[in-house]
Amino acid sequence: MADPLEKDGAGVDDEQPRQRFVLDEGDFNEVPAKYRRFYRHWRGAGDQLAPNEVICPVCKIVIRSTRELRPGDRVYCMACMTRLRVTRSPSGQLEGECEY
Amino acid sequence: MSGTRERVSDVHDLAPEAFEREVHSFEFWFQAVEGYLHGTTYGHRPDAAATPLTDSERDRLVTVLCNYCVGETAALEGASGLVAIAPNRMTKVFLATQAVDEGRHLEVLLHRLGELGVANPEAEIEKRASASILEFRRRLLALVGSKDWEAALFAQNVILEAMEFTVFQTHAQTADPITAQVLQGIVKDERRHIGFGENELGRRLRESPHRRARIGEVKRDLDALVIETFAETVRDIGIPASERPDLGRAYLAAVSRLGLGVS
Repeated sequence: MADPLEKDGAGVDDEQPRQRFVLDEGDFNEVPAKYRRFYRHWRGAGDQLAPNEVICPVCKIVIRSTRELRPGDRVYCMACMTRLRVTRSPSGQLEGECEY
Repeated sequence: MSGTRERVSDVHDLAPEAFEREVHSFEFWFQAVEGYLHGTTYGHRPDAAATPLTDSERDRLVTVLCNYCVGETAALEGASGLVAIAPNRMTKVFLATQAVDEGRHLEVLLHRLGELGVANPEAEIEKRASASILEFRRRLLALVGSKDWEAALFAQNVILEAMEFTVFQTHAQTADPITAQVLQGIVKDERRHIGFGENELGRRLRESPHRRARIGEVKRDLDALVIETFAETVRDIGIPASERPDLGRAYLAAVSRLGLGVS
C-alpha cells in the first residue's frame, strides 16, 4: 500500500512515489529556528535546485521541502510570507507561482 | 522565547490560515530578527573591520546614507500611519513589526553616519537629501493621510521597499565591511516588507479587481520619481551604467505579478 503522504499532489503526477529528503540545518537565519531548515540562500552561478526545492520569485530565497516537489504542490516562503503553487516552466524547471 | 527547538514535520503542510497567522505575528517577527541581529550592535558585529576610506569615498557614502535615511524615515512614518488604516488586526500587528524595523533602520544608518564622523546627521541629511526622494516621501505620506489603503500600501511596500531591497542588496556587495553588514541586516527585514505588500495587495486586487485602475494611476504618477531616485542613488554608489537596468527588476517583476503592467 502506498504511503498516504506520497499521494500528496495526487492527480498531478502520482505514478512514481515521491523521493523523501532529510533537511540539514543550514545557515539560513531569517525565520524562527524551527523553520530554518526549510530555506536556504541561492548560492549564485553554479548552484542547482534539488527536486525538493524551488526559488521564491518574490525574495529569491530557495524553499525546501521534505518531499520531492511536483507541479500543483503548495509551498510557503516564510522569509517574505508568500504562498506559492509549484508549476513547471516551459524549460522543464519547477517554479513557484504566487498565490495571493 | 523557548530555549528548546520545536521540530516541524514539513512547514508546507500548514493550512493557509495557520501560515498567515504565524508569519504575521509579533512572535514570529521576534524569533526571526533574533536569528540575525543577535550579537550585533547598531546593525553590525562589534569586531567588523573598519576599512579606511578616501575623502571622496567617505563623502559619497555620507550622501548615500543621508538619502537612505530619508527613505527609512518615509518608511517609518508610512508604516506607522498604515497601522491606523489597515483593514484588520493581523495586518495592524504586522505593520507594527514593520514600523519597529523601520525605526531600527533609521537608527543604525544615523549611527553609521556618526561613525563616519558626521557630527550632526540631521543637518547633513537636510543638506544632502535628493529632491526626488523628498518628493516621493511627500507623496507617500499624502496617500497615507488620505486613508487610501491600497494606494498607500502600493507606494510604501511595493515601490519604496522594492527600491530599498534592490539598492541595499547591490550596495552591500561593494560597500566597506561595516556598511555592508548594516545593509545586509536591513535587506533581511525588507524581505518581509516586500512580501507583505505584494501579498496583501494581490489579495485585495483578486477580491476587488476594479481597484487595479486606481493602483495603475498611482504607479503612473510615481514611476518617474522611482526611476529618478534609482538613478541618483546608483550613481552615488558608483554602480557601472551597464549594471543599472537590473536594479529596477524586483520592482518591475512585482508589478507584473500583480497584473499592473509596465508603463
